Amino acid sequence: MTHDSSTPTAPSTGEVLLRLTDVTKTFGGVQALRGVSLDLHAGEVYHLLGENGSGKSTLIKIISGAQPPSGGTITVRGRTYRRLRALDALEAGIETVYQDLSLFPNLSVAENVALSSQLVRGGGRLARPLDPAEVRRVASEALTRVGLPTSEDFLDTAVDELPIAVRQLVAIARSTVIRASLVIMDEPTAALTQREVENLIGIVDRLRADGVSVLFVTHKLDEAYRIGGNLVVLRDGQKVAQGRLADHTKAEVAYLMTGQTLDRTTYRAGSPQEEILLEVSGLTRRGAFSDVSFTLRRGEVLGVTGLLDSGRNELAHALSGVRPADAGKMRVGGRDARLRSPRDAIDLGVGYVPEDRLTEGLFLEKSIRENMIVSVLDRLLGRARTLSAERAERLAGDLVRDLRVATPNVELPVQSLSGGNQQRVLVARWLATRPRVLILHGPTMGVDVGSKDALYRLVQDLAQRGLGVLIVSDDLPELLMNCDRVLVMRHGRVAREFSVPGLDEATLTRELLDDRPLAPSPAPPGGLLAAAPEKGGD
Amino acid sequence: MSGLLGEPAAARAPSSTWRSLTRRPELVTLLLIVALSLTIGLINDRFFSVQNGVDLLRSSIRTGIFALGVLTVLAAGGIDVSFTAIGVFALYVTTKLTMSVWPDAPFALMALASLAIGLGLGLVNGLIVYRFRVPSLIVTIGTQYVYRGALLAFVGTAYITDLPRAMDAFGRATLLQTTTADGIRVSLPAAFLVLVAVALLTWYVLRRTLLGRAVYAVGGSLPIAERLGFNVGRVLLFVFGYAGLLAGLGGLVHGAMNRQANPFDLVGSELDIIAAVVLGGARVTGGTGSVPGTLLGVVLVVIINNSLILMGVPSTWQKVVIGAIILVASGIFARRSATA
Repeated sequence: MTHDSSTPTAPSTGEVLLRLTDVTKTFGGVQALRGVSLDLHAGEVYHLLGENGSGKSTLIKIISGAQPPSGGTITVRGRTYRRLRALDALEAGIETVYQDLSLFPNLSVAENVALSSQLVRGGGRLARPLDPAEVRRVASEALTRVGLPTSEDFLDTAVDELPIAVRQLVAIARSTVIRASLVIMDEPTAALTQREVENLIGIVDRLRADGVSVLFVTHKLDEAYRIGGNLVVLRDGQKVAQGRLADHTKAEVAYLMTGQTLDRTTYRAGSPQEEILLEVSGLTRRGAFSDVSFTLRRGEVLGVTGLLDSGRNELAHALSGVRPADAGKMRVGGRDARLRSPRDAIDLGVGYVPEDRLTEGLFLEKSIRENMIVSVLDRLLGRARTLSAERAERLAGDLVRDLRVATPNVELPVQSLSGGNQQRVLVARWLATRPRVLILHGPTMGVDVGSKDALYRLVQDLAQRGLGVLIVSDDLPELLMNCDRVLVMRHGRVAREFSVPGLDEATLTRELLDDRPLAPSPAPPGGLLAAAPEKGGD
Repeated sequence: MSGLLGEPAAARAPSSTWRSLTRRPELVTLLLIVALSLTIGLINDRFFSVQNGVDLLRSSIRTGIFALGVLTVLAAGGIDVSFTAIGVFALYVTTKLTMSVWPDAPFALMALASLAIGLGLGLVNGLIVYRFRVPSLIVTIGTQYVYRGALLAFVGTAYITDLPRAMDAFGRATLLQTTTADGIRVSLPAAFLVLVAVALLTWYVLRRTLLGRAVYAVGGSLPIAERLGFNVGRVLLFVFGYAGLLAGLGGLVHGAMNRQANPFDLVGSELDIIAAVVLGGARVTGGTGSVPGTLLGVVLVVIINNSLILMGVPSTWQKVVIGAIILVASGIFARRSATA
């Protein structure tokens, strides 16, 4: 065992837990990481910051053993690896909560939490007996740590029956089963509302108190500052900064991440016109939301927010015809409208950019052109009712230029684009349908600072062109920067409507959380513990 | 306001029934069996006779042994259509070899040979699926042709009806024997014990070992299993090897019970067996299915194949009934996953 030269930059007193030395990674011809060296100390919290494509995901995949580096070494607890296997990482106490959570949808909560620890215990050997009582015991302990129930019924619930926020906690519970030394959380708050984020922060504090290090991968600077600790900034596959978070202002960090300064406080420039594009009255879907009424004018940007179980997501689905409402009226452009499917919505001029652009919206392996034109194929028919390649190309070319999608060629697959550009392709598809109303559902989830900026400008540009834009989001600053008005939903109803000028985040947050605990409401399904056992039952 | 509070409670009651069906899809299978049995029994009360019951169990043996292998592959997210070819290959090669080398060989040795052949051919499937990442449907369609073609081309095409002594004895051995009131002798073959043993073993492996849970994990999501450190290659080799092993065993048992080794046998019946597993609640998309469910699915298919005749349904219509039941059951299963 060699004595490494001590690291003078490290302010921490903890021992070095993990050391990366000159780690590189190339995919084909693309350099994802260009020589990253990094020390992580025990009992510390780190925030790995960087834009999409900066190499964050690659870095954590290398640390967790999911991918081997192309060059460089990884030292964990004094042992140096050229190639760390997933099992090696687990045995060294490195646990990863992936952005996709990496839970098995078909297995029970108990098995999802406890199986990897059983795997590690046997050194990866599969042919060994498994005691179900032991699995339950291990799982119960871990679930208690994150505040989830441990009843038989919950332990036996298959993970795909759980709402996403609960899945997130299950994934975190799994990461605490092994005596972890480092827990990596990849965008853990992407699917969580503010209250659930508070819960997560509590869990992080407990981990830190136990001497466990936590590495967050995140876009959300505000949350990073709330949690505190250290920052590591990546840009273009290189480490550009490491140090105490408190030593840097938000503006500095944003600059480090993007290489450009961003200090816009508001994007909203125009103002709504008279004409009402969308009028909703008494819209109801049983078990999700009820009696929702509002109007949206030409050139207006309207925000809708609420906690995860407030019905905001279901409202967005109803307005776009994905899961139609069962009562109430909608008028689009002054005419009564009945939406039974997304096709109806498209025909009426209501465009919908779904929340999860990757799973709900885009055909990732198909080309940019195909993704853009898929909703308007009937308009691109040439002679003999076959698709006119020429027209399709012209339309796609126009849209790429119009929305400034950064790509050399519209025939490249969408998955070759960065997250922000994928988002633009999706918006482009809807613009191709010539909508009057555009619904953006969580438009910047998982999008980096630079792309957010571009997207917000685009939203304002669209409103300027006379579209009515509805943003459904839990990102409050986003709503404040972009909207004319914001509707706050609670328990499936519109609790309050705010006019944005003069509104601040604190007021909005208060309204969101108002009367929150203990409300014995007719809670819609999809509440935090909807799939957890019902006590007693009425 | 009280009406509002009452509403979700009322809405919850039926959904909890759905939930239990979601968790135990084999209950659907059981309901189908009960409904079908009552219908057939009402039309012809011979359905509920001891003779018919024993007949059903006897017919379940071969299908059951094969089906448990198929279940293991389906649970891991794969599919195997080559197992009938493996079964007949193992049966014919073992019988022919025994007859020419040592006709008095003990049955255990023959079984060992048949198991080894089945295991070997199954592992070939697994190796190709894992190494070349080819969808298992394509691989096993290919190997089905290869195994069966090789058997007919290189080993032989003649029926063997003069079986090795031990195999003949095994085929005749009975577990229970009674004579019914109208003087018909009914007997449950000893081979039924093989099915029981295989079912217990499969249940133990799938439920009570890490390997078994890894099978379901891989069926749930192969990339995630890989990322979490499961040795996916081992799992795939195991499931295809195990399906081959059981196919070898099933082939030999089938030959012993039918008192012949026919190289043209079995191939063509794989869909019946896969249907039984699917009717037992395993999804073709992987990650689900249980041993009790599969056994129920086998019973259901066997009832349809054997007993519709008692209802006066012509044998040509049996396929229509199996198809219709698969469609109804998959409709129910699809709804449960949509509501989950």
